[in-house]
Amino acid sequence: MFVRELTKKYDGKTVVDGVSFEIPKGAVISMIGPNGAGKSTVLNILSRLIARDSGLVDFDGTDIARWKSRELSKRLAILTQTNNIQMKLTVRELVTFGRFPYSGNRTTAEDERIVSQAIAYMELEEFEDRFIDELSGGQRQRAYIAMVIAQDTEYILLDEPTNNLDIYHATNMMKIVRRLCDELGKTVILVLHEINYAAFYSDYICAFVDGKIEKFGPVKEVMTKETLGRIYNVDFEIMEIQGKPLSIYY
Amino acid sequence: MTTARPVPRAMTAARRSNMRKLAALSALVLVAAVLYMVVDVNFSNEKLMRYSMRIRAPKLFVMLITAFAIGGASIVFQSIINNTIVTPCLLGMNSLYTLIHTSVVFFLGSGSLFASNANVSFAVDLVLMGIVATVIYSYLFKKTKHNVLYVLLIGTVLTSFFSSMQSTMTRVMDPNEYDSLLATLVASFSNINTEIIVFSLVVLAAVIFALRRELALLDVLTLGKDQAINLGVDYDRCIRRLLLGVTLCIAVATAMVGPISFLGLIIANLSRQLLKTYRHSQLIAGSALFGMLVLVGGQAIVEHVFSYSVPISVFITVGGGLYFLYLLLTNRRR
Repeated sequence: MFVRELTKKYDGKTVVDGVSFEIPKGAVISMIGPNGAGKSTVLNILSRLIARDSGLVDFDGTDIARWKSRELSKRLAILTQTNNIQMKLTVRELVTFGRFPYSGNRTTAEDERIVSQAIAYMELEEFEDRFIDELSGGQRQRAYIAMVIAQDTEYILLDEPTNNLDIYHATNMMKIVRRLCDELGKTVILVLHEINYAAFYSDYICAFVDGKIEKFGPVKEVMTKETLGRIYNVDFEIMEIQGKPLSIYY
Repeated sequence: MTTARPVPRAMTAARRSNMRKLAALSALVLVAAVLYMVVDVNFSNEKLMRYSMRIRAPKLFVMLITAFAIGGASIVFQSIINNTIVTPCLLGMNSLYTLIHTSVVFFLGSGSLFASNANVSFAVDLVLMGIVATVIYSYLFKKTKHNVLYVLLIGTVLTSFFSSMQSTMTRVMDPNEYDSLLATLVASFSNINTEIIVFSLVVLAAVIFALRRELALLDVLTLGKDQAINLGVDYDRCIRRLLLGVTLCIAVATAMVGPISFLGLIIANLSRQLLKTYRHSQLIAGSALFGMLVLVGGQAIVEHVFSYSVPISVFITVGGGLYFLYLLLTNRRR
């Protein structure tokens, strides 16, 4: 999957400005950057939730706009933060929706097996018959991840998955992201605000400033005093913990 | 290891219990319908009996169709906008229909073919309504980004705007024109527009047939726009087509029995409360059945207990208004 000269304007203001990069397969890629740098917009364009103004998003040799939506949904999944469901929906029913691209409303025994697996993988068995709106934020987030797992795609895109979660749940979330990549072989692309989560749990970091890519590379190359300073305009110190660079800012 | 785990028990149990509830509702509807048909009918005198049947049968039939049209349309509309306290009528869709109907007579004259033949006039109304309402409401949703409070606010303003335009037209209209318009305009449950029953049935059947694929997507749509797209739904096209379907259903209902604002709200929410599911096949069935029960049962009471002194729309509006307030106050904890 690669992107060439991607551009997006909102009301005349350029949010994404000629962005090009290639996404390495089977890795966790974090997009970081200050507010309004365009990282979420890029993620949403990659997942066809937002239309771009110009540029190319190539997925498996075909532009993403020319993919059949149903086919694409078997290869690429996105999870955004705007998930307010008004309906009475149990965890299992939500996860079963992950099979919709394959079987529509009629699930097969195979689908049910995959759904059960996904629920077990996210350790949600005891909640499977509970309604989504009765769950805590962390549990609900896991239910959505289980749905994405049931969707069984090569690529998983997550828009600020740690938003609104406390340290415990956010850290768990990041561990899940790592497992999605290491155990299930997914390519995970996520937008993060917390630099150290990005540094500790991802393989690559893509740093945005003002709608452009400031730096895209392996974690160690991006996590330097100079680069982070340029991105955020704040002084950084870099420490190494468990062989990974972590930043301190003040 | 066993090959595949069957559908979990809880899910089938919930579905079975919903099926039982729907069956019970259907039975109640049947009882109401039979009562409506037989109460106070003089069966010993064949002529009198036939006379009552000729009056009651079409009425009953129209009420059943209306309940289905409004019940189905309300549920679908709520899922489009992803909110359960809004219905098409609350946003002025039936006022818009009344306005369109009046405008046709106003601009073309009651003598023109478009106004004098009930079916042709209805067809013209439907086409206009389909275009105008789809444009207005999809623009409204897009502009407010589906923010339900804005939608509700603008919808309320639109309702009075459409009604005022309509009443302005009737005031400046030639009295003779107005007289002929009135007969079709003030359709109500006591004055049902029976000329267009067949046409209405055809329209409803056509809508359901044309939207059969979109209707199957309704369950996924309740997950919200992002998730629907993620799961491979062509969201914008699907919403546009469903909205057109809703518009036509409301037009059919309004043409036959006149505007009844709160009916959709009551029956859609009763259905959601009773069935507690996201499955639209069940929700729509429940909503339609509740509608039939309210209309047929209510009309029977109006005719035999109150001897027509209070029209059923008064009960629906009073009851529906209170229910709406209740929903607003209890549902807004988010």
